[in-house]
Amino acid sequence: MTGTGGRKRSLPERFARSLQNHWQLYLLVLPAIIYFFIFNYLPLYGIQIAFKDYKAVKGIAGSPWVGLKHFQQFFKAYYFNRLITNTLLLNILNLLFSFPVPILLAVMLNQVRHQRLKRTIQTTIYVPYFISTIVLAGMLYIFLSPSSGIFNFARQAIGLQPIDYMSQASAFRPIYIISNIWQTAGYSTILYIATLTGIDPSLYEAADIDGASIFQKIRSIDLPTLVPTAMMVFILDCGKLLSSNTNKVLVMQTSGNIPTSDILGVYVYTVGLGQGQFSYTSAIGLFVNVINFVMILLVNTISKKSADIGLF
Amino acid sequence: MESGIGNRNRIRYSASDRVFFLINGIFWTVFMFIIVYPLYLVCIASVSDPSAIVAGKVIWRPVDFSLVGYNAVMKYQEFWSSYLNSFIYTFSSVIISIAVTLTGAYAMSRPRFPGKSAINMYFVITMFFSGGLIPTFLVMKDLGFYNNPLVMVLMGCVSVWNFMVARTYIQTNIPEELYEASALDGATHFQYFFRVVLPLSKTIIAVLAVYYGVAKWNDYFTGLVYLKNRSLYPLQTVLREILATLQVDMTGDFMTTMSDDAANIAEATRIANVSKYCIIVLSTGPVVILYAFMQKYFEKGVMIGSLKG
Repeated sequence: MTGTGGRKRSLPERFARSLQNHWQLYLLVLPAIIYFFIFNYLPLYGIQIAFKDYKAVKGIAGSPWVGLKHFQQFFKAYYFNRLITNTLLLNILNLLFSFPVPILLAVMLNQVRHQRLKRTIQTTIYVPYFISTIVLAGMLYIFLSPSSGIFNFARQAIGLQPIDYMSQASAFRPIYIISNIWQTAGYSTILYIATLTGIDPSLYEAADIDGASIFQKIRSIDLPTLVPTAMMVFILDCGKLLSSNTNKVLVMQTSGNIPTSDILGVYVYTVGLGQGQFSYTSAIGLFVNVINFVMILLVNTISKKSADIGLF
Repeated sequence: MESGIGNRNRIRYSASDRVFFLINGIFWTVFMFIIVYPLYLVCIASVSDPSAIVAGKVIWRPVDFSLVGYNAVMKYQEFWSSYLNSFIYTFSSVIISIAVTLTGAYAMSRPRFPGKSAINMYFVITMFFSGGLIPTFLVMKDLGFYNNPLVMVLMGCVSVWNFMVARTYIQTNIPEELYEASALDGATHFQYFFRVVLPLSKTIIAVLAVYYGVAKWNDYFTGLVYLKNRSLYPLQTVLREILATLQVDMTGDFMTTMSDDAANIAEATRIANVSKYCIIVLSTGPVVILYAFMQKYFEKGVMIGSLKG
């Protein structure tokens, strides 16, 4: 479309011409550009308060610089270890247990031969994904209640004492992970099912002729096909190791489970917004973002070197 | 595809395959039960008698059918005013989301226009770098978004991910020949977008409506952080105080409403307990209904987006 003429045009000239041809496209994409400018790029400008002592009257730009003071304060804080351990443990365990489930579901669903049954299963297992964090937490509080929850009725039925699970520090991680699998595993199969649908049927036919069992077909056709997709998902998940689902932990936190549920995101929320320590918690937020970014680069590089699979 | 299934049906399964099908059958029965039962339990408990629930009798079907909970929720004003707020926020937000995402995605789906890769970079960067909670909060406050209902409409109304899905959809589902034909007829980008692309994008519009709509309806955090005025709260922010807590706050609006119908505090607590089930049904209902209606498009659209995106 551009530069159809034989002579070379100067850069400003070319730019002006391209605007003439494409101004409608620029106009169509402009709202999105403005949106991201206001809600993503302007907040980046606000990060500077991590290196300042933010005072509301002086504003973001006017507050005095203090260098790395807040970072040092955070690294030396006595709860530093607890926050990092809780956050990492919760996310690593969650990744470990949650990650394989959608793959298993997709492979098993692929073997359901009755097409209407398959569709029904698919439609149903997506439903929990559409339930809000608040309602999910609400269901946990209701079902696990020591006085009126179904779990404790089951315990009493077999002669055990009721337990107030939501106040138990040791129960927090299992509850978080299991409820997370319940909510997201079905939905996360979409990606894997799409990959499996793309398998050339002649592969299965060839395997049938060789007399392969279903299990053998899964092992040598389905699973190898899923590896690149799974690696991709894994790399993206590794970029979230320090930024777990703060929204969910925040509403699952009780005075009883704080020893395990106190994670970085919740700490930033309560200390930052609750106590107004804006600069200090901005520094923690920046630290988390940097680590996450490094993690994603690291896993991407490793995966690229070892399996030639990467995001970029 | 058709013939593939036909062929496989004709094959006689070996013993080991039949064992596999048995295991698969058991697997899905158990898994479907785990997915469905909690939702089912909430539904049957919401129409059961409060004392039957506390006694642990409500397990497989409603016991002593009663609408006490729904009656109590009907009178709970803050629930309904925040319900209305959420409807307004979600509806206006989804319209803006779809408009901005689709127009932008169309522009980015054009094979080339100068600066396209730079604009693409501009979008992708936001996936990896964010200001974080506090810097975002302070900047938004400076921009006048604090305690402003507009924040509920605008914040998070465009997601890069949905943007990419929409772009992939347009690229793969609307043949380039259509553009060339329109361009030959002298159509501008605007005309092509509104007369050709938009009518062919029903599937992706449905998918975007579900994604954006559900995310907006389910969000409690934005309301919690950015709104000070309770009368502006969306539903989920109000529900946080009722559902996501160990103790029932005896002084709150919720309990005062519940105790109107009750003879004593114990009775009020039981009504409050059953009301929670009703609140879950009423607040999750719109989302599930939206999903059910859009499900036909949803399956197709999501597959396309995820496969190529």
